Amino acid sequence: MNPYVPILVIGAIGFGFAIISVVAGYLTGPRRYNRAKAEAYECGIEPTPPAAGGGRFPIKYFLTAMLFIIFDIEIVFLYPWAVSFDQLGLFGIVEMFLFILTVFVAYTYVWRRGGLEWD
Amino acid sequence: MNSARDLILDDPGWLIAVKGLLVFVFCVLCTLMAIWFERRIVARMQLRLGPNRVGKFGLLQSLADGVKLALKEDLIPAAADKLVFIIAPIISATTCFMAFAVIPMSGPVKMFGQETAFQLTDIPVGVLYILSVASVGVYGIVLAGWSSGSTYPLLGGLRSSAQVISYEIAMGLSLVAVFLYAGSMSTIDIVDAQDQFWYAIVLFPSFIIYAISMVGETNRAPFDLAEAEGELVGGFHTEYSSLKFALFFLAEYVNIVGVSALATTLFLGGYHAPPGLGFTESWLGGWFTFIWFFIKVVLFFFVFVWLRGTLPRLRYDQFMQFGWKVLIPANVAWIMVVAVLRYFTLNGASRTSILIFGGAILVIFLMGSSLYERSKAKKGEVTASAVDAPAPYPVPELPMKISTFTVPRAERERE
Amino acid sequence: MPTPKIEYGILAPVLVVLAAAVLAVLVEAFVSRRYRYVVQTTLSFAAIALGLFTVILNKDVSGRFAEGSVAVDGVTIVLQGTILIFALLGLLLIAERGFQSFTAQASTLPGSADEQRALASGLQQTEVFPLTLFAVGGALLFPAANDLITLFVALEVLSLPLYLMAGLSQRRRLLSQEAGLKYFLLGAFSSAFFLFGSAFLYGYAGTTTFDGIKLQITTSPGNDLFLLVGLAMLTVGLLFKVSAAPFHSWTPDVYQGAPTPITAFMAAVTKVAAFGAFLRIFYTTIGGMVWTWRPIIIAISILTMAIGTIIAIAQKDVKRVLAYSAIAHSGFLLTGIVAFNKSGVGATLLYLLTYGFTTLGTFAIVTLVRDAGGEVTDLNRWSGLGKRSPLIAGIFTLFLLALAGIPLTSGFVGKFAIFSAAYESGNISVVIAGVLASAVAAFFYIRIVVLMYFNDPQEDGTSVVIPSPVTAITIGVCAVATLVLGVFPQPVINAVNSLAMFVAG
Repeated sequence: MNPYVPILVIGAIGFGFAIISVVAGYLTGPRRYNRAKAEAYECGIEPTPPAAGGGRFPIKYFLTAMLFIIFDIEIVFLYPWAVSFDQLGLFGIVEMFLFILTVFVAYTYVWRRGGLEWD
Repeated sequence: MNSARDLILDDPGWLIAVKGLLVFVFCVLCTLMAIWFERRIVARMQLRLGPNRVGKFGLLQSLADGVKLALKEDLIPAAADKLVFIIAPIISATTCFMAFAVIPMSGPVKMFGQETAFQLTDIPVGVLYILSVASVGVYGIVLAGWSSGSTYPLLGGLRSSAQVISYEIAMGLSLVAVFLYAGSMSTIDIVDAQDQFWYAIVLFPSFIIYAISMVGETNRAPFDLAEAEGELVGGFHTEYSSLKFALFFLAEYVNIVGVSALATTLFLGGYHAPPGLGFTESWLGGWFTFIWFFIKVVLFFFVFVWLRGTLPRLRYDQFMQFGWKVLIPANVAWIMVVAVLRYFTLNGASRTSILIFGGAILVIFLMGSSLYERSKAKKGEVTASAVDAPAPYPVPELPMKISTFTVPRAERERE
Repeated sequence: MPTPKIEYGILAPVLVVLAAAVLAVLVEAFVSRRYRYVVQTTLSFAAIALGLFTVILNKDVSGRFAEGSVAVDGVTIVLQGTILIFALLGLLLIAERGFQSFTAQASTLPGSADEQRALASGLQQTEVFPLTLFAVGGALLFPAANDLITLFVALEVLSLPLYLMAGLSQRRRLLSQEAGLKYFLLGAFSSAFFLFGSAFLYGYAGTTTFDGIKLQITTSPGNDLFLLVGLAMLTVGLLFKVSAAPFHSWTPDVYQGAPTPITAFMAAVTKVAAFGAFLRIFYTTIGGMVWTWRPIIIAISILTMAIGTIIAIAQKDVKRVLAYSAIAHSGFLLTGIVAFNKSGVGATLLYLLTYGFTTLGTFAIVTLVRDAGGEVTDLNRWSGLGKRSPLIAGIFTLFLLALAGIPLTSGFVGKFAIFSAAYESGNISVVIAGVLASAVAAFFYIRIVVLMYFNDPQEDGTSVVIPSPVTAITIGVCAVATLVLGVFPQPVINAVNSLAMFVAG
C-alpha cells in the first residue's frame, strides 16, 4: 500500500477529534451572554481599543522570519547532502563547505549589523 | 531490505485504521498521564503532594480537568476573527498527532494475528516529514494569537512563533549529523543504524543541541516565554476557553511526547534495548521493544519536568541570542567536523589519526570558547557601566552611580 | 552514482565576481567605516577586471560545463565580456561620490530624524558595491545558463540586488522607494510566471536541461500543451526582464525613481544579460519550433517598438524619455530574435554592445545636469543647455543621435545589422515596423537636441557641473566607443561574428 495513506489516516483521526472537541465544547458548555466576557482580556482593566490598520508590531519578528527562511533553506540543502554523503566523496565536502561558508558570511554580516539583537 | 519496513508496508487496510487509532489513543493517554506525572513530580520537587484525590494516586485528575473544561462556557471575543479563531486549535491538535505517523515504537510484533510493527508507516523522508508537520503546527499558534483580537495573545503568539522557528533551525541542523551517519532520513533506517552505538554517544554534541532545542521548540520551561504570566498572561491562548483551550493544552503535551519520541528514535536507538540487554527484545513476542521505547520517552519527559521544576525562565533577548548566536554556529561547526571525520573514516584513515584529528578539533574548540568567554567577560564590564546611559523612558534611580560610560560595540555599529 | 564535477576554471568569470561580492559583504561587516569606501571600490574594480581577464582566457572554450547546467561558447564569451565592460563603466558612475546619489542609510524612514542624523554624519553606506557585484555575477551566469534551474537562480541573483539598488536614491527618496517596491513586486510576479513555466516544461520534458528539452522537441511533435503553456510563461518572465510590451510598465517608473548611476547600470547590464538568455533559448533550445514562436515574437516586437516610441513623445522627463527609448530598443532587439539566422546572433550581440555604451553615456550625462536640489530631469529646464555647456550638450547630442540610429554613430551600425539580419530571414513586416519606429523615435531625440540648442537658457539654477574624473572617464569612454563603432566598426563586427557561435547541440 502507498506509505502515505497511513499519514492521511492519522491526520483524519486527529482532525476528527479536534472537530468533535470544538463542537462538543460549544454544545456542552453553558451560554450566558455578558458584554464584558466578549471583551479582550487585559487583566480586568478597560481593554485598549485595537489600533487602526490592524496594529503594528516590531519589525524584529519579520527579520527573524526572514533569517529563518534563509537557514531553513540551508538545512533543506544539507539534508540530501548528508544522506548521500558517502557517495559524494571529497567533492561533496568541498562544495558543501563552500556553501556553508557563503551562508555564514551573510550570518556574520547580520550579526555585526545587530540583526540578531533583541532589545 | 528491512524486514520491519516490509511488514509495515504490507499492512492491510483495516490494520492501518486500527494502528492509527492505537497511536491516537497512545498519544491521548500519554497526555493524560503526562499532566498527572508532571504535577506530581513538580509537587515532590517543591515539597508538596500534588493531585491525589481523583482516582488512585490522583491518576484521573487530568480526565476530571478535561471534563470540567468541557462544561465551561465557550467564549469567542467580540473582536476575534471567528473563523480563524476556531480553526487555529484544530490546526494545532491535528498536526501534533500527525508527527507520530513515522515514529517506530516497536520492532516486529504480532498484532491481531498479523505480522507487523507498531509504526504507522515508513517513508524515505520520515524525519523531514516530522519537521514539516511541526512547522505547520506553528500556524496554529500564530493564527490563534492573531485572531484573538487582543494585545496579549498577539504578542504571545508572535513571541512563540519566533521562538519556535528559531529553535527549529538549531533542531534541524542537529539532525544533519544523524543523517550523515545513517545515510537515510527514514526513521527505521536510523534506528537500525544504531544497533552498535547510540548516536547520543557517537554524536554527543548533536544530541545536546537537539535536547536543548526541543525544549525551546515546545515552548517549555525554562523557555516558556510565550506564556510568561507576569508579562503576557497566558500567551497566545489567553482568549481561549473550554475545549478549544483543552486542544491547545493537548497539542502542547502531545508535542512534548512527540519530540521525546523523535529524540529516542534518532539518538537513543529507538525501540532497541540498551546495549547488553538485546535478549529482552524478543520477550512478550517482541512487544518488550515497545516497553523500551516507552521507558526512553518517559525518561525524556522526566527531564522536561525536572527542568521545569529547577530552572527559572530566561529573558527573551538572552533566549533568542542563545539560539541564534550559540546553537546555530556551534551546530554548523560540528557538522563540518563530523563530515571531515566521516570522510576520513570512509577512506580508511587509521583510528589513531582520527583520534588525533578529533583531539585537535576539541582543543581548538576549547581554546576558542575560553577566548570567547574572556572577551565576553570584558564586554560585560562595558555593558555593566552602560546602564548609566540616559534612557528614553523614566527608569528608577540606581543604588550606585558608575561614572564611566562607553557605548557597547553593537550599538555603535548600528548607528 | 558518479561524482559530479565542476570546471572552476571555465566558470571563473562568474565565480570571481561572486566571490568578490561575498568578500565585499565581509568588508561591510568588519572593515571600519572610514575605510570601507576605498576597500569596496578597490575590491569591486579588481573583481571586474579579473573577471574580464578570465573571460579573455576562456575565449576559445566551447562546451557544456558543471554537469551540463552551464554552456560556455562564443556567444557566452561575447556577452560576458560586454556585461563586464558595462559593469566597469557602471561601477565608475556608482563610485562617484561628488553627487551624493545614494542615501546615507537606506533603512531610515524618508524625512525622519534618523535620516537627518545619517545625512549629517556624512558617511554613506557602501552596501551598493556588494549588491552591484552580486547583480553582475547573476548577469554573467544568465546568458550562460543551460538549465532552467540555473537560469532561474541567475535571474534572481541578478534581479534581487537591483530591486534594492533602485530604492537607494538620496533625493526624492519616496519616489525611489516606490520604484524599488514596484520593481520588486512586478519582478516577483514575473519570476512566478517564469517558475510556473519551468514547471510545465519540466512536466513536458522530464528534465530541466535545455538540451533535454530540445531533444524532446525534436523527437516528439512539438505541440504538447505543457510545452506551449510552459514556453509562453517562460517567455513572459523573460519579456518582463527586457521590458518588452506588454510587460514594460515598470520600466519608466523604475528608471525615473532609481538613482541615475543605478539606472545606467541596470539599463545596460540587464538588457545584455536578458537578451543573452533570450538568444540561447530561442536559437538553440526551441529553435525547432521557430514557426510556432516567430509570429508571436514579431507581434511583441512591433508592439514594443510602437509603444516605446509613441509614448516617449509625450514625456516631459528626460529619464522617462530614456526609459521609453529603452523599451523601443527592446523592440528593435527582438527583431534579432525574429531573424533566427546566423547573422541574427552576431547582429544582436553587436546591437547590445553599441546600445549599452550609448545608454550608459546618456545616463552619465543626466547625472551632471543639476541644481541645488540634485539632478534636474525636467526636460523644459534642459533648454538652452547647448549654450551654457557646449561640450556636454555636444556629447549628449552624439548619444541621442546614436540612440536614434543616425549614420556615423554606433546606433546606425547596430540597427543596420539587426534589420538586415531580419530582412535576410524574410520577415519584412518587422523590418518595416522597425524603420518606421526609428523614424518616429528620431523625432523625440531630435526634439531634445533642438531644445538644448535653439531655446534660450532659463535662469532657474540649472547648471552642468564639472564631472569628477570617474564620471568623466565613463562619459569619455562611452562617447569614443559610440563614435568609433559608428565610423570604423568593421574590426568589432568581424570579431563578434567570428565568436558568435552557439555550442553544437
